[in-house]
Amino acid sequence: MAARELALTALLLVGVSLVVFVILHLSPGDPFSVLLEGQGSGHAVSTSVREALGVPTTWYGRYLAWLGNMAHGNLGTSIRTGVPVASEIARAGPSTLYLTLGSLLVTLLLAVPVALYSTSRTAGALARALTLAVYLVSAVPVFWLGYVVIYLVIHRFGVFPLLSASAEPARHGWLYGLLPIVVLGVANGTVSEVTRHLRGEIGRVLTEDYIRTARAKGAPVWRHAFKEGFLLPMTEMIAAKIPFVIGGAIIVEQVFNWPGLGRMAWQAAQDRDFPVILGIALVAAAFVRLASLLRSVIYAGVNPRTATE
Amino acid sequence: MNRLSRIAPLILTLAVLATVPALSPAASKNDGRPDGGSLAYGEYGRPATLDPITSNEMISLRITELVFNGLVGIDEKQVIIPELAERWEVSKDGRTYTFFLRKDVRWHPREGEGPKPFTAEDVLFTYNIMMHPKTITPLKVRYEFIEKVEKVDDATVRFTLKRPILNALAKFTFKVIPAHGPANSQFLTREDPFVRSPIGTGPYTVKGITADREIVLMANEDYFKGRPHINKFVSRPFADQNIMTQAMMFNAIDMLVLVNPRDLPELQGDKRFVLQPYNALSYAFFGYNLRNPLLADKRVRRAFTHAVNRQEMLDSFFNGQGTIISGPFAPGSWAYNLDVQPLPHDPAKAVALLKEAGFSAGPDGMMQKDGKPLALSLKVPIEKESEAVKRVVLAFQNYLKAVGVTVKVEFKEWQAWKDAVFVEHDFDVILASWVFDDSADISSLFHSAEIGGWKNNFGGYSNPEVDGLIVESKLTLDHEKRRTINRKLHALLAEEAPYTFLWTLTNYSGYHKKLRRVAIHPYKFFSFADEWFIPVTEQK
Repeated sequence: MAARELALTALLLVGVSLVVFVILHLSPGDPFSVLLEGQGSGHAVSTSVREALGVPTTWYGRYLAWLGNMAHGNLGTSIRTGVPVASEIARAGPSTLYLTLGSLLVTLLLAVPVALYSTSRTAGALARALTLAVYLVSAVPVFWLGYVVIYLVIHRFGVFPLLSASAEPARHGWLYGLLPIVVLGVANGTVSEVTRHLRGEIGRVLTEDYIRTARAKGAPVWRHAFKEGFLLPMTEMIAAKIPFVIGGAIIVEQVFNWPGLGRMAWQAAQDRDFPVILGIALVAAAFVRLASLLRSVIYAGVNPRTATE
Repeated sequence: MNRLSRIAPLILTLAVLATVPALSPAASKNDGRPDGGSLAYGEYGRPATLDPITSNEMISLRITELVFNGLVGIDEKQVIIPELAERWEVSKDGRTYTFFLRKDVRWHPREGEGPKPFTAEDVLFTYNIMMHPKTITPLKVRYEFIEKVEKVDDATVRFTLKRPILNALAKFTFKVIPAHGPANSQFLTREDPFVRSPIGTGPYTVKGITADREIVLMANEDYFKGRPHINKFVSRPFADQNIMTQAMMFNAIDMLVLVNPRDLPELQGDKRFVLQPYNALSYAFFGYNLRNPLLADKRVRRAFTHAVNRQEMLDSFFNGQGTIISGPFAPGSWAYNLDVQPLPHDPAKAVALLKEAGFSAGPDGMMQKDGKPLALSLKVPIEKESEAVKRVVLAFQNYLKAVGVTVKVEFKEWQAWKDAVFVEHDFDVILASWVFDDSADISSLFHSAEIGGWKNNFGGYSNPEVDGLIVESKLTLDHEKRRTINRKLHALLAEEAPYTFLWTLTNYSGYHKKLRRVAIHPYKFFSFADEWFIPVTEQK
């Protein structure tokens, strides 16, 4: 079972890398041209660069060379900066992890109470208003909210919300680190969906026979409904929404000058710096895969029947 | 606007071929100005490398200016001055240049090592590594005029040129790196640790790169021109230009290399800051694809130039911060011909010229010839700071519509745009700009030998008279004669209008007024930064 999952994961990662590589190859531009910017770069020069660097001439040759290194655990070096990709990812990764997980938490903190409240029997006009608000918030583009928040913080509160490692630590400096997390959590576009899904599932479970039985005999309804009505849809939503949060992180890191993988990916995409792009794509894919594995594990724990299916 | 490549080799305004006596060295500058304080400046983006050989963008160039020296330097009046070489001799035939090096220069020490002296070996090493086929550097093409380099003794090097060239001395401003610097002593790649933690002879040493990717530079106490006044320079990268001015308003940085034109009024109104203009040696233009028969006719191109109101665009989109130009040379350079006037805004003249070229207004009022409408595609690269660019594009569309020409605008991603323009030549008009170094060499832009894939004459402009003048200008050894030729070239290309030359924008650096005696080099920026200082009371 575990071996099968592992093999599937490996296959998935190779697939992802191939697709990303082919897209990069088909898109206009040349990763090596960044080395020649500033030079009257004739085609002959670009050929000589490839020769100097010992780069295979065909795209599949380059991909296979990359894959060969990859098999030995070597992600290669960035074309633009010459820095090993693995160490760059290790350095920028934690910032992005902090940003994505933190904002996921924010999303849940928003969505869960609204969902719970609107399924409760006392819910009325307020619940509808809250749901509407959640939908509106989800429609807000993340970069727009980022700028609005920065503008407000600067002009209303008179502080500059970007951190700097070399400057003396500012008062309430840790608060600045929360801004991008809140912005991404609110505006990654998933709040409404999480709310809707959760509310739907809770509503469905609450009408199930076994809940009615529980209710009839006076047992606590929530304890019975928790696993199927809450835990399962939650894990499902988290696993499904992680790719969106990662996508949003690229933009938020850009707006907030956040030194993470998103900014690395952005720069690398502009330069067609394929070792960096592939490295980040693999990490992101592995992250998504990990989330879906976790979901399977939780499913199996809640409902042992799924483990044998 | 887009910075295309820096396109041509370095040629300087003034040639000083005589020897100049060296200044006596001093540990401190002893100029009565205080040492101390720190300066954080904002950059839009992060440099790829920090050494002077592999780096090829402006952010790196500015940092290498703080860390390294050339054999000769350039002062604020663009005069060549001694730097690592204290004097030099030029042979009568102009082919041999002998440099006598300073003996009191030492390399920045590495952690746990003592400083090593700078010698002739380092100059040879730098030249050899630069010219090695496996070193990828934009400098290579600029030094192909050198035949060989020899070490005469530890403090003397001799360069032999393939043939004498005008202003050769200015080319010896290339930055010298230490023979014990790079891990690989044959050639330099971006994987060499030296490119990230370089050591030089300059006023500042690279201290390190922080987690936020700030580059920290510390004063070199041992600098041969005397310790620089300011203790610390920090280069802060920003991913978003909109934030940078705000960062300065909140004292997160003290200096902006280039203020976003839109933010100029905000800084102007703030007494804490100084705005200092400097010449950018660049200009914007609409470039035409002469492969399109409609655009091969000079009258059509001139009609377009008459149709647009450049002053109006400059005033409304760039706060009037710039100058309308008439021809192909970098405005502010010695080659620019001030006697040639930009074509005036004159829609009636534009219509007359189009009619002369055989077009007539169709039933819909749009110009056409043989039933074919005069419709063109304009390709523009997408950029993050494109609001002003977008307005220029829309204005162009409207100006041409007013004289009966349809323009279809297409925005393309940078690399895709470069492919379309420089490789596939699939465009009618582009909006772009060239950034020059101190050079007045426009051969790669308009010489017919430069037509082809990846070459800079993207429009396919070909004119034997222009070719002849370009070659003549390159071969002459007489500065006045070269100026006369370039003035002719300017007038001719203004007449031919292969581009609609637009404007050069005035660059403004913005900085906190605590910084004093700030002199700025047009594109290297920090050349004179060792003289900058901060009064003691404002050092904090």
